[in-house]
Amino acid sequence: MADGFHADMGPQYEGEVIRKENLYIEFGGPKVARKFELATVKSPEEVENERIELIGPDLKDFTEGGSYPLAILVDVAGSELDKDAEAIIERRIHMFTNYTEGWYHMNQRQDMWLRMNQDCHKKGFESLRELGEILSFLYTSELSIIESIQITLVTDDKKIEELLPHALEVYTARDERTRTLRDEDVDTFYGCVLCQSFAPTHLSVITPDRIANCGAINWFDGRSAAKIDPEGPIFAIPKGDLIDPIKGEYSGVNKIESERSMATYDRVYLYSAFEHPHTSCGCFEAIVFYIPEADGFGVVNRDFKGETVIGETFSHMAGDTSGGRQVEGRLGTGLEQLMSPKFIQADGGRKRIVWLPKEIKERYKEAFEADGVYDKIPTEEDVKNTDELMEFLEKVGHPWIAGEVELPE
Amino acid sequence: MIRTIAIAGKGGTGKTSVAALLINFLSERGLVLAVDADPAMNLNQALGVPLDGAQTIGGIRETLTKDVSQGRISPSVTKMDYMFSKMLETLVEFRGFDLLAMGRPEGLGCYCAPNEFLRRALDRLAKDYKYRYIVMDCEAGMEHISRQTTRDIDILLITSDPTIRGITVASRVKNLIGELRTKVGKMGLIVNRVRDGLPPEIEKAINDSDLEIISTIPEDPYIADLEIRGAPVTSLPSDSPLRVKAKEIAEICA
Repeated sequence: MADGFHADMGPQYEGEVIRKENLYIEFGGPKVARKFELATVKSPEEVENERIELIGPDLKDFTEGGSYPLAILVDVAGSELDKDAEAIIERRIHMFTNYTEGWYHMNQRQDMWLRMNQDCHKKGFESLRELGEILSFLYTSELSIIESIQITLVTDDKKIEELLPHALEVYTARDERTRTLRDEDVDTFYGCVLCQSFAPTHLSVITPDRIANCGAINWFDGRSAAKIDPEGPIFAIPKGDLIDPIKGEYSGVNKIESERSMATYDRVYLYSAFEHPHTSCGCFEAIVFYIPEADGFGVVNRDFKGETVIGETFSHMAGDTSGGRQVEGRLGTGLEQLMSPKFIQADGGRKRIVWLPKEIKERYKEAFEADGVYDKIPTEEDVKNTDELMEFLEKVGHPWIAGEVELPE
Repeated sequence: MIRTIAIAGKGGTGKTSVAALLINFLSERGLVLAVDADPAMNLNQALGVPLDGAQTIGGIRETLTKDVSQGRISPSVTKMDYMFSKMLETLVEFRGFDLLAMGRPEGLGCYCAPNEFLRRALDRLAKDYKYRYIVMDCEAGMEHISRQTTRDIDILLITSDPTIRGITVASRVKNLIGELRTKVGKMGLIVNRVRDGLPPEIEKAINDSDLEIISTIPEDPYIADLEIRGAPVTSLPSDSPLRVKAKEIAEICA
């Protein structure tokens, strides 16, 4: 065994799972309220190299077979390291713990779950500090970009409670950064044909700025699914040349659209509801629908049970919209798409929305406020038909009706 | 190779009891993943194990669908990983077998994507945990099999009692399998609660249905008392006809 550790390590142990029968002790997981793991890039003077600290009770203080709280803090420094590396370094806790014979790591972040088996204990693994030492050893030997590292293991629940809010803030901030990825930043989009059993000509195009119609698959999910099974129902689309940056037409998307729609369609606009709008399956979370009287759009979600301002219900409209067709002025969509900066950008984006269910308006309040239209869009509580709609829009001075919205060129 | 065994049939024909005993016997030979795919969810009672208040797979799928539509899922954790981690949290572990409860089939809305994540998570679970057997207790409609797993079935056991209705449901299950994407290796009929041999009407019905009898189980004198006490079927004494026959079936399946 390497360096006098009581457990062997290497990729051969990665697939090792630990079931309850062989369990010595577990940390985190569903039975434990508070647990987390966090990697932080710090300046060299903040990191005392190879320091391993344990705050709280150790293995000998716990009951065999029990479940206990744990936080793992990995602080690293290195001249080439920046904040973006934190998520990647943190994920290595999963990999390196699984590299360790007799240890099993599941989940991530505040859902972290670790198990140690009985054999490992019998071989003399008696302190959690050793897990810290192993992690430190693996980090420094596998990632030369790390110049210094210190690891803190916390088993004191009070201390974890104190540290957890900060970790949650870091996770949220990281997620926010992920949301800033744009279509321009990547070369590959993803396609999903999971719904083709219902809608044979439907292909959901998934890009950083466009979630799948069902709202369940974003670009990161697409990337991970295509990596596991490239020939499967979720696959890579090389985006090709950008033919129209406003309407969102890409040569690579057109090519795949033609192949996968049995040549029914050979052009798609990702950022418009007109001419060549995206096809709609039967699974969309919401429908964007054109309202001729206002020359604007309404949005209705699946959970909205009543009649929309045009007198049709979601299910009525869904019948006309679904089936894998391109229907001008009708767009099946994931709800999160309303937050996308590319949401029907060619047609005026969120500023061209003239009716929304109250629930949706409130859910995406910030985005509508940022566009200055939150107070201008009526809901089912304000108007019941298109006559009332027009009256409302003119009264409040909706920017689209007032002619203040300029379409991008 | 993992061997997948599914058990289906009309309610009240001893389907879950047979499943529990099979799990019991097979777990002596290798690790078993027991899947309760019947929304009635009483496989754990038949096995005499608690569910620990664990969530069901159906519950996870509902949570995922809801969290997705409310934008509550971190974009950095892929949904496939999310589904797998929740599945691990749902798994209830015992000596020789793990139990996964499927719960209710889906409600309204789109489940194409969540079901796909679920299928992949199930495949990954079976692979990572190196199960030797998967035993699924299914409801007659086989909803979960058709929707949630690409896994083919090696042996499909259909239980019935010696009644025309029981055989009719059994025959329907057989026909249903033909319509599903799932491939089935071998299919066998278990006729339970038989007194003094099969009546000729029932024999004829079985012949007409083209089902092959794999086992005939005599009426078990211990069952009534067991049901009253709510005791697990695994506690049946060694001379119990159900237990003896289930052991034979386990040997065929192994």
